[in-house]
Amino acid sequence: MDLFAQLFVNGLINGSHYALLGAGFGLIFATTRIVHFAYGPIFTAAAYAAWFAANVLGLPIAAAMLFAALVAAALGTATYQYLYLPFELRQSSSHVALIASLGLFIVLENLIAIVFGTGGRVVDGYQYDIFLVGPVYFSSVQLGQVIAMIVLTASLGVYLARTRHGKAILATTDNPEMARIIGIDTVKVSRLVFAIGSALSAIPATLILLKDGATPSMGFFAVFIAFVAVIVGGVGSLRGAIAGGLALGMVESLGLWKIPTEWQSSIAFIVLFLVVLLRPQGLFGRAVN
Amino acid sequence: MEYVLHVLVMVCIYGILAISFNLLVGFAGLFAMAQAAFYAFGAYATAILTLKLGLPFPLDLLIGVALTGFIGALVAIPAIRISGTYLVVVTLALQVIVIAVATNWKSLTGGTDGLRGVPSLHVFGYALNNPGRFLPAAILALGVCFWIAWRLTNSPFGRALRAMRENESAAEAIGKDLLYMKVAVFAFSAGLAAVAGSLFARYLNYVGAESFGIDETIYMLAMVILGGTGNLWGSLLGAALLVVLPELLKFVTLPTEIADKSHLIIYGVLLIAILRLRPQGLLGERSTMRHLPHVDGASSHGVSMPKPLPKGEVTLEGRDLHRRFGGIVAVAGFDIVLKSGSITGLIGPNGAGKTTAFNLLTGFLSLDAGSISFRGHDITGLKPHDIVRAGVARSFQDLRLFTKMTALENVMVALPDQTGDRVLDVFFRPMKIHREEHENLIRARNVLDFVGLTHKAYETAENLSYAEEKLLVVARLLATGAEVFLFDEPLSGLDRSTLAEIFPIVRKLADNGKTICIIEHNLDVIKELCDVVYFLDEGHAMAIGTPSQLMNDSTLASRYFK
Amino acid sequence: MLKLIGAALTAAFLVTTSAALAAEKPNDPDIIHIGALFAMTGKTSYYGTVMSQGMKQAIDEINANGGVDGIKLEADIEDHKGGVAKDGVDGFTRVRNLYNVQAVMTSFTPPTLAIAPIADEQKIFLINGGGVSNNLVGASKYLFHNRSLASDLGRAAVDHAHDLGLKKMAELAWNSDAGDNIVKTVDEIWKKDGGTVVASEKMDVGAANIDTQIAKIRAGNPDFVALWLFSPDPGLAAKRIRDFGLKVPLIGVEYTADVQKLGGAALEGYEFTSDYFKPSPDEPWSAAFAKGYKERYNADPDFYAANYYEGVYVIAESMKRARAKGGDWYHGDKIAAALREDPTFKSVYGGSMEFQANGVAKKRVALFKVENGDKVFEKYIEAK
Repeated sequence: MDLFAQLFVNGLINGSHYALLGAGFGLIFATTRIVHFAYGPIFTAAAYAAWFAANVLGLPIAAAMLFAALVAAALGTATYQYLYLPFELRQSSSHVALIASLGLFIVLENLIAIVFGTGGRVVDGYQYDIFLVGPVYFSSVQLGQVIAMIVLTASLGVYLARTRHGKAILATTDNPEMARIIGIDTVKVSRLVFAIGSALSAIPATLILLKDGATPSMGFFAVFIAFVAVIVGGVGSLRGAIAGGLALGMVESLGLWKIPTEWQSSIAFIVLFLVVLLRPQGLFGRAVN
Repeated sequence: MEYVLHVLVMVCIYGILAISFNLLVGFAGLFAMAQAAFYAFGAYATAILTLKLGLPFPLDLLIGVALTGFIGALVAIPAIRISGTYLVVVTLALQVIVIAVATNWKSLTGGTDGLRGVPSLHVFGYALNNPGRFLPAAILALGVCFWIAWRLTNSPFGRALRAMRENESAAEAIGKDLLYMKVAVFAFSAGLAAVAGSLFARYLNYVGAESFGIDETIYMLAMVILGGTGNLWGSLLGAALLVVLPELLKFVTLPTEIADKSHLIIYGVLLIAILRLRPQGLLGERSTMRHLPHVDGASSHGVSMPKPLPKGEVTLEGRDLHRRFGGIVAVAGFDIVLKSGSITGLIGPNGAGKTTAFNLLTGFLSLDAGSISFRGHDITGLKPHDIVRAGVARSFQDLRLFTKMTALENVMVALPDQTGDRVLDVFFRPMKIHREEHENLIRARNVLDFVGLTHKAYETAENLSYAEEKLLVVARLLATGAEVFLFDEPLSGLDRSTLAEIFPIVRKLADNGKTICIIEHNLDVIKELCDVVYFLDEGHAMAIGTPSQLMNDSTLASRYFK
Repeated sequence: MLKLIGAALTAAFLVTTSAALAAEKPNDPDIIHIGALFAMTGKTSYYGTVMSQGMKQAIDEINANGGVDGIKLEADIEDHKGGVAKDGVDGFTRVRNLYNVQAVMTSFTPPTLAIAPIADEQKIFLINGGGVSNNLVGASKYLFHNRSLASDLGRAAVDHAHDLGLKKMAELAWNSDAGDNIVKTVDEIWKKDGGTVVASEKMDVGAANIDTQIAKIRAGNPDFVALWLFSPDPGLAAKRIRDFGLKVPLIGVEYTADVQKLGGAALEGYEFTSDYFKPSPDEPWSAAFAKGYKERYNADPDFYAANYYEGVYVIAESMKRARAKGGDWYHGDKIAAALREDPTFKSVYGGSMEFQANGVAKKRVALFKVENGDKVFEKYIEAK
């Protein structure tokens, strides 16, 4: 039972991490329909930016996080502006953008490895606290992962529902054609979602830096799991991305209660496989055709 | 030079993979991201069958291809229900699961150690154990695979695949069996990838799970998209480019620490640059009808319109049709009887259930209750393509033309009973198909003649004017050879002069004994064309009568004619 | 025949002499190219970095001292992207053809297994200082290893646990050839010695998340946790184990700079068995190597750097011996024969090492303990 409780909390923590990644990726994907593969290395770049701010510039963690978010937002927006937008203007198929994104993925990942070296990076002297609640252990960083997910997704939800820009994003997500007709500048909206989505990814990136350290190749898993969370939850739904991420984390953790851990990397996909077969529109998505 | 020969062998292996993947992605429009898993099946089949069972060539290859083809066919089954992003994810999941199994099933696959010592191929006692000796075999395999793919994509089956890619429901509406097509194309694609896998195992004498990860699938996808989807030569070019480019980059001398990473950076930049220069891929898609002669003008020896059918017979009959969506009742207790030689109009306010009625009659939606019969035979519950073959075809309000195909191809693909629609016949009855293609070409020309589109035969559908598109919709529907035509607003948005062109066509069809039903809002059209009119509201027929009867009905007038 | 093609292509580098003279005068290449297959990119490129650094340092040192009897060495490093078989074969074929390489340094199991039959066929000398799978032993008759097999290190580690009187073992192993090999060997010994395995968990190389594994290990309530992991994952694992409040001893088989960086304080008291590498004043070569490495790369060498550094010396020494016999000495099989003739070499780890008949060098395996972030030598462990 103790093990179950621990696994449950683990699932919640990791699920929160996935959910936040999914929220950022999903916002970009649902609005622009670009499979933004380079979300991965931008996540990595954010982690290294936070490392740079905390370790080299000596900023406090919160400021480092903010710095990372700015770097990620800038990179994300630039990616849209200089990589995807030209393809969009020429009305290329979305597959072309996907392969271009892959090209950027390779470029960024290797660039980071050259600039920062191939070894791992940790924030020197940073020590997190450990809490013991009943039989369950967790650290302050893990608590941070859950809180960050709740606070950021809630703010994002409010932003989308209440503000003028947020509503423009929702309208574009719903129907880009219609959005253009009613006078929304969809290019501007795309730029905005790339900035917000990328900035969102910087928070989990910083937390991972604090928890496990940063490596140049950490981005692949991040974008992969974000993509999967979005599809499991349903494209175009913030609630869906959160639910998808949490579900993945839970399945991955609780699923291994009895199953040998060598199946860790595939168990989420077995569930995913079944979910999509039985409920192709995702857990929360609307049926799209 | 062995190094060059080695690179050429790799080009051959990736050429096969890119071609096989293009069948799915480019021709069928199925984004299934598990190609490296199929590649793995082929490689492991050869390794396991030769090492554990001692099977000789070509048994390992044949069993591997058959097995992988079968697995590919199974993957097609989810692909019938889901499409687009969801297919990507299901297959991505499959890819991950297959590699996890290959990694964890140690007794069979050797786990992460892999399987070593796969025997080299032998030809007349001559071992193909170095690049120079292996290359001819690799080229031969590439040639055979290319030929198979070429034959497949240039057949009527290939044309149907592209139609399915352009629009699945429209392909169903002209009588194509989507499940069959998806199963077939998946089986072929997977089978060809397995050939590459078997070559890989024989060439490297080693098979390990690390060679078939998701990054390999992405690599193949890059080859297909870079080379140009829907073009087999493009795939070859894409494969050659992406295999050779990294090798060339190795000659860029840089300090050790950054050399290989910098090569990858240059590679990524070049990939983006090429896409920027040729966003549609290096080579464009080609018509499936290049090998057929151009037929200009109306053919004198053509097949004329089929014999007129007797008029006034009941053809399609729907009884007490019901359908609801969640809490909304779309069709409730709708009865309809269509007769040969007459034109029936279906009118009613928006949301009255007109299009839903069409969808129910043609099998695109399942019935909650009710029955449908055609010439006395019960066709309730049949699949759309079976209903088309039985003799009931429909058009769509939003046209759903195969936009990237020519007008002639749009019509030709819709012709019924094509031997070349069956994949096995594509390979085993080539002569019959060849003859048929010529006949069908003439039939298609005649249909285009009939609607007056002869001069646009070789124009891509997306380049036609709106009126021409509407004519092409009619032509495509005619080509199905059905007896009952259900037109969903075929005339909306057309000006008077174009209407004047289409009216006689529809009349002529009815005069020939075809059964016609039209959804229409324009009362002038209804008055001019229809013999009988059904007024639909709230999911059932409120009134039935001649156009003038209905228009003089004061209650209806208040509801609809304002 | 193929060798002839290769030779013709590199004619500019080769001194061509007639076969009649060969028995007397050594037939030398202008430059001795040494090929290397490392993980220069991808998830495990840390290995490529340190291995190539060790290799290049050795080559520069040897060249500064006149090379192999005056012939200079040159490194040709190819990337196998972290152990992809195809890329290993790519790189191997490339260095063979372009530079008529006769000796290749290799790493990781899949590429080494994939090039082994080609090396056999072409008679190319191979030396591996990184890959640890039992499967590598005997893959080619020209393949040598100057690194202990993972299973031997694991065996030494559990022997030590046994000596400590520990009974309940929990294992966390890489889901890879290296991890599998240790688990297979160690479980058997441990059970035979009366111990129990309370949890045996696997993690992917560089896994993003191992909380589930740690929770399961904790639930098993072990006396100690065995880490059958390699760089940098022992650091991550130690940290997570301590985070989960598990205070039992940790025993493993690897400790590198990267492990230390990621694990930090959590590694305090961690014991591990490793090929003995400890630069110290009484081992002048070790000390010189460590000093040189630090000057060049501003980092302390770990034992992967040491192995490939040492490997170059093994190659150079074998070549010298082969050349002494004269004639067409510059061939992998001749170099391998020279090694086998006198299989004892000086080791940068101190003392000497001896290549056994199966190609694996018998090295001193030692037990270390981490104290204040530094590894402290405890004792040698005799292989049982």
